[in-house]
Amino acid sequence: MTAPPPIEHSLILLENVSRFYGEVLGVNRVTLSIPPGITSIVGPNGSGKTTLMNLMSGLVRPTRGTIKIAGVTPQEPEKLFRILGYSTQFDSFPKGLTGFQFVYLFLRLFGWDHEKCEKMAWKSIERVNMVEAANRKVAGYSKGMRQRIKLAQSIAHDPRVLILDEPLNGLDPLVRAETIALFRELAAEGRHVIVSSHILHEVDKISDQVILLSNGYVVAEGKIQGVRSEISEHPMQVLIRCDRPGELASKVFEQDHVVEARIHADGGGLLIKTRDAGRFYRMLNHIALNGISIESISPADDNVNSVYEYLIGGEESTR
Amino acid sequence: MNDLPIGLWWAQIRAVVRLEMKKTFFARRGLWIYLLALAPVLLYLGHSFNEMRLREYNTEMAAAHAVSTEALRSIRPGMSTSEVEAKAGTPYTKFTFRRRDHERTTYGYTDGETNYIFSFVDDELEGISERTRPGLAQDSLIFATVFQFFYLRLAIFFGCVGVFMNLFRGELIDKSLHFYLLAPIRREVLVAGKYLAGLIATVVIFTTSTALQLWAATLYLDKRVLNDYLHGAGWGHAAAYLGVTALACLGYGGVFLAAGLLFKNPMIPAATVLLWESANIFLPAALKKISVIFYLQSLCPVVAPPGGDVSGIWALLVSSAEPTPAAIAIAGLFAVTALVLVAASLRARKLEINYGTD
Repeated sequence: MTAPPPIEHSLILLENVSRFYGEVLGVNRVTLSIPPGITSIVGPNGSGKTTLMNLMSGLVRPTRGTIKIAGVTPQEPEKLFRILGYSTQFDSFPKGLTGFQFVYLFLRLFGWDHEKCEKMAWKSIERVNMVEAANRKVAGYSKGMRQRIKLAQSIAHDPRVLILDEPLNGLDPLVRAETIALFRELAAEGRHVIVSSHILHEVDKISDQVILLSNGYVVAEGKIQGVRSEISEHPMQVLIRCDRPGELASKVFEQDHVVEARIHADGGGLLIKTRDAGRFYRMLNHIALNGISIESISPADDNVNSVYEYLIGGEESTR
Repeated sequence: MNDLPIGLWWAQIRAVVRLEMKKTFFARRGLWIYLLALAPVLLYLGHSFNEMRLREYNTEMAAAHAVSTEALRSIRPGMSTSEVEAKAGTPYTKFTFRRRDHERTTYGYTDGETNYIFSFVDDELEGISERTRPGLAQDSLIFATVFQFFYLRLAIFFGCVGVFMNLFRGELIDKSLHFYLLAPIRREVLVAGKYLAGLIATVVIFTTSTALQLWAATLYLDKRVLNDYLHGAGWGHAAAYLGVTALACLGYGGVFLAAGLLFKNPMIPAATVLLWESANIFLPAALKKISVIFYLQSLCPVVAPPGGDVSGIWALLVSSAEPTPAAIAIAGLFAVTALVLVAASLRARKLEINYGTD
């Protein structure tokens, strides 16, 4: 019986990783443990997202610290890129290639034969819906097509770890939805899908976990709700749709952990701010049993946008 | 040793070569390399066509104004135009003009091989000049000079700068090098693949040009003269020139591939190497040996001027070193190339992609 692989072989581990470009900070003291699933790296331009991804893929080397991608260090490209696919932000391609050649010739660098490479190239091109344009020169592609052919190249060798730098940039809404569905599919197959974005609402919907970056530092990481619950200085906001919001407001104000209750503009709901979400939800059960008809309860600020706002403040230029 | 995945590396090298070939051979920005390589061919073609035209002209003149070599050689200074015409007949060309109150006349004769120009002042022969068409020996020397001073030092040198420096530096500038660095390929294997691609391209371009130069330079020769030459030293010379061309690509290619990896501005090392190689002739014997051109010149079949017997001001400036035996020169070039490629591979292992965006 063979021993199961060590747990680190299913994780991406960064330990105290820093990278400086001369005196300019890229990222500083980053320690992360990323499990499989969709992980979003979020931060404004210049926050260190691309540096972090380049560090993971070995395109740049850490000034200090260690990195292991499923047990492989980025200093071993011959091993690393058999398990890792990287769609970079660089919008430049080897000259004169068609979309198919771009993927096919990349696969030939793995040392595989023509038949295998051709089959794998078409499979990945099909997966990103680029079959019709595959025999055209990449130089004539639109931004969205270039994004998709890069994605096809990064998934062509069936990697366990996918790193995608701003993969949704330049995609129209339909293709964007298809691409997000592909990410979910890949993550459901047990892969790491690491996506960077500076558009918060975009990653909010697709991420299993997020890494928030600001000025080269990781300011928060983990599942978004977990990150939110740890921000104690900002009370949790909950929107309750009910038939008697005024009565509900007077009841919740009796609780010491409720700091604000505001009746919604349409008169059909109440926005509560509480310092103890657990106690608040238990209390709400009690209130519901005493006659107020509650239609829905939804957290109003446990999304990436709010978390980012609370952690980093309004000076960052995120959308 | 048996664990080394040689088969995989070889497949990867072939894949890199396939990718690079198109870029190296058909890049629009590489057009000047073809022009540089083919420039001497045009020079020799022009020379050969001119020689053929002159030979034809001389033959026609000799037939129209037949005169023996003996009759022409019997003409002495002090003779008048009528005495010369009595010995050699009517000249094929005759030109008279007045200058500083003197009448100057020029007569031209040919025996088919040599042109004789007789210059008269006031009807008295003052100067005789013989112009023999250049023969194989002189052409061989001219070929050696052009080959060593233009072709090796400039054409192949700059051709290798253009091809080999672009292998890495050009892709860093184009922001497309990451295409290779995202593949599971050892950086040393990538260096080997790119070097081999550059070597194939330059060897094909420059040895083809050398072969064409040899053909063009001997195009005007009589079949008999050419056959005698080829069956004497000719084929050996051709093989040596082709071999030296290939070795020049090998040596300079390694140097400039490494320079493209080691320096951000590759023109600085290129200029330094050019200066060093150009100054080779003036360097002391020991320093001469630390250059690619010294070994290449050692392998050339004809010594180009200035050879060992320099005199005058040249003797003060030029130093000579014993040419290195062929086997040592070839082994030396291979060894230097291998060392330079090892340095390039070590640099490639630490190569980062930082196109300046984040």
